[in-house]
Amino acid sequence: MYRYDQFDARFVAGRVAQFSDQIERRISGELSEDQFRPLRLMNGLYLQLHAYMLRVAVPYGTMNSAQLRKLAHIARTYDRGYGHFTTRQNIQFNWPRLDDVPQILSELAEVEMHAIQTSGNCIRNVTTDQFAGAAADEIIDPRPVAEIIRQWSSLHPEFTFLPRKFKIAITGAAHDRAAIKFHDIGLMARRNEAGEIGWTVHVGGGMGRTPMVARKLNSFVPHADLLAYLESILRVYNRYGRRDNKYKARIKILVREEGLASFREQVESEFSEVRGGVLSLPEDELNRIKTYFAPPEFKDSDARFDLAALKVSDPEFARFVVHNTHQHARPGYTSVTISLKPVGGVPGDATDTQMDIVADLVERFSFDELRVSHEQNLVLPHVAIGDVRSVYEALCAAGLGEANVGQITDMIVCPGLDYCALANARSIPVAQEISKRFGSAKRQEEIGDLKIKISGCINACGHHHGGHIGILGVEKRGTELYQITVGGDASENAAIGNILGRGITGEEVPDAIERLVEVYLGARSGADESFLNTLSRLGETPFREALYGND
Amino acid sequence: MEMIEHSSHTDAARRAGGESWLAAFGIMALNSMFGQKDASGVLRMAIEDLLVDDLAVVSSFGADSAVLLHMVCAINPDLPVLFLQTGRHFDQTLAYVKTLSDRLGLTNVQTLVPDSDQLARFDPDADLWKSDPDSCCHIRKTEPLDKALSGFGGWVTGRKRHQTQERGVLSHFELTDDKRIKVNPLAYWDEEDVAAYKKVHNLPEHPLFGSGFTSIGCAPCTSAVTTGEGARAGRWRGLNKTECGIHFDVNKRISPAMAKAELTLFRDGRFVADPWGKWVEGPAPSEARYAHVPLAQFVANRTAYLAGPHPLGLLVGAGDNVEEVASDLSRFSSIAIEFRTFTDGRGYSSARLLVERMGYKGELRAVGDVLVDQIPLMRRCGINAFVVGHAATRKALEQGVQSAIDVFMQPVGVDEIPLGTRCFLRRANHSNS
Repeated sequence: MYRYDQFDARFVAGRVAQFSDQIERRISGELSEDQFRPLRLMNGLYLQLHAYMLRVAVPYGTMNSAQLRKLAHIARTYDRGYGHFTTRQNIQFNWPRLDDVPQILSELAEVEMHAIQTSGNCIRNVTTDQFAGAAADEIIDPRPVAEIIRQWSSLHPEFTFLPRKFKIAITGAAHDRAAIKFHDIGLMARRNEAGEIGWTVHVGGGMGRTPMVARKLNSFVPHADLLAYLESILRVYNRYGRRDNKYKARIKILVREEGLASFREQVESEFSEVRGGVLSLPEDELNRIKTYFAPPEFKDSDARFDLAALKVSDPEFARFVVHNTHQHARPGYTSVTISLKPVGGVPGDATDTQMDIVADLVERFSFDELRVSHEQNLVLPHVAIGDVRSVYEALCAAGLGEANVGQITDMIVCPGLDYCALANARSIPVAQEISKRFGSAKRQEEIGDLKIKISGCINACGHHHGGHIGILGVEKRGTELYQITVGGDASENAAIGNILGRGITGEEVPDAIERLVEVYLGARSGADESFLNTLSRLGETPFREALYGND
Repeated sequence: MEMIEHSSHTDAARRAGGESWLAAFGIMALNSMFGQKDASGVLRMAIEDLLVDDLAVVSSFGADSAVLLHMVCAINPDLPVLFLQTGRHFDQTLAYVKTLSDRLGLTNVQTLVPDSDQLARFDPDADLWKSDPDSCCHIRKTEPLDKALSGFGGWVTGRKRHQTQERGVLSHFELTDDKRIKVNPLAYWDEEDVAAYKKVHNLPEHPLFGSGFTSIGCAPCTSAVTTGEGARAGRWRGLNKTECGIHFDVNKRISPAMAKAELTLFRDGRFVADPWGKWVEGPAPSEARYAHVPLAQFVANRTAYLAGPHPLGLLVGAGDNVEEVASDLSRFSSIAIEFRTFTDGRGYSSARLLVERMGYKGELRAVGDVLVDQIPLMRRCGINAFVVGHAATRKALEQGVQSAIDVFMQPVGVDEIPLGTRCFLRRANHSNS
């Protein structure tokens, strides 16, 4: 993975000093809260319902064991013993004291971590496929380019006060595991007719109160031109994005109001000016950055899982293998997903002890590499197949052995009204009830892969728009209600779910989900027809009727 | 000519005209426009541009008065010249009024006399000067002058810095408490300058000048000076009094020199006087000077602004497209980028386009909500001057604010791209580490 050179280290140390000074000036009263807010947000510091929240960047979701141990230490020392992994592949600490933050940042800097641009109206942490550099279906490892984008966007002086936040996601595989079409810019690797690898650029996707699937802006931008192309998009957005209404300030609104063709024309015009300039990336330099991400020294092996045998001899482990491993590009290896969705637990949370245990596994079994997925799980990307049993046992001992990845209890859930100042309704308790309802392995196996996503308000941090079943918390006359959507999809076939009808209470949600699942199970053509396919074949009516009857 | 138009204005309208000029220029701007000794330039500006038909000269017809009056005549001999006939002048002074007026061709000398009721009440025996010279001056000079000046937006004086310690801070233009402009063309002249001018133009001397009277007021309070004394040492000799009162502001001090006003423009590492005033609607494009014309205004009147003879600036608002003035940049001596709120980042793009793409090399100033935490970003985008009101930011700038971050992750600006701003070209640096 990328290692800081002296330059990076100095940059991050400078940033810690700068923000520490800003905190001091806030505490002394020199900075008003209005003046401090954008500064602290730019450094990942939110003011939540009960306390400050610090969001630490995990660039493109990649960490090593030392970094994870440091996060565990911070959770233990400065927080209440846990952290929350987010859909942006970051980690949030919910209870830091303002005057501890400089110390936390200093300690993070010791392991090449920071909180730069994890919030604020700037370019946020670049996210990617959690299996980058490991997946069998990958065209290219996107992380070298993600790292280049991260550096280019770090404290970019022109793009620090954009109309609104700006999120970039990048994937090197044709199967999108990074929800790139729900990002302001989504980059997907593509091989052109000449066999060269470049990037298809999508723009204007997003969740929130105006969900949109990104549109294709350019089908092939070569590596060399990518930064120039991104700078062109950002400049057009910075200059012309709306600033009169924060709900209409994302680039998706600009693209919609200008029209894709006109927006593309502006970007191309800008691109024609900056192309070939200082942002050009020479091929041999890209190769040099790639060496940071060189594959570890895999040992060739023909080890394979004998699932048929395992299902008989070791059914629990077999289930883990089926759901929690992902095909690796190298024979004899697999990527293991550690579910942070224990049945009845808080999705995405990990305790300091669990982080320490995972750090040990990262070091022993995964070439010191860990990933955070946008679905709020952790991933050991490079595990020898022969080691998976040991990993599984260690995970089970730590309460992390849930074999539910991709299943109905593997939900994306925002922190909701339990933490968040913006939320209208609680998310976590609803998720916990659904999780308990569908917790049995047998039940989940029967249902198959089904993605439920829950947001506590219209800002959609829980990605409900992209859930096969989405749950949105709303507030009506002081009551927390939940609207149910169906048909969302965050994959390369991105789609936004439709609301089925009026909101229902939290207590009613598990029954409602149960009824939707029953409609699906009863109507699907076979176990291999997905929920989305059944929905698409039948339409929404039977699902709506299952919730509301015929009225 | 425009004077005709102005002459039909009422007093109030004229005053308003003067104030709009002031608002447009700012006294500080005026004071930085002329060389120190450029008395004629100052006078011409005041007479022809600043206070057209709204200006008077106040002259004592004393030892040095010929210089200023000679300059006035060269520009406009019809300009009102106010002479305070206090009733206590030397006969030689009264004769000199006639001599000088005839010789120079002054056509509009107005004699101001004290109010007779006031004199009868407070100085019936004409000896008030002995017991209360301040009151004597007040009745015989200050009150008559105040009354006369109510019809003017400003006045010209012959005062000079070297004359007294208090006058040592005089500038060419002052704004008085009653919002009049006081013009001091000779502020920076010394005795040698005056003597040389008189000689070159062969000006008649005050009859008493040769007898040691280097500054001449009313007879009872003026005496000759001896070698080594200051020129005004003979005025109110023996009293702790150096001014008659007509030059006092209501606070009993000389009008505050504008140099003392707070400087808001930070450039080249320090706060400096800002010659640029705030833009106001009104003046024709050909008259615009030392103001940042809003971009839309400029574009709508491009030809006229381009043809204007005076230094001009451009104001780039947050939503403005700098591309519209790409070919006009050489016209501007300063460009201001407006940050309406510090969270509106459009100005950063405008600045980079101006500097990096269009090659603008002049002053590029940030105006509006300029705060210390954004200044490093602005600098990187090419902004090289800051108009700052925010107290903490001023303090930080004075202390030489340095960003804690001294390495950059992306190439921005026209200077040589610092090593390391791109991870993919950081090899040289990297090999050192």
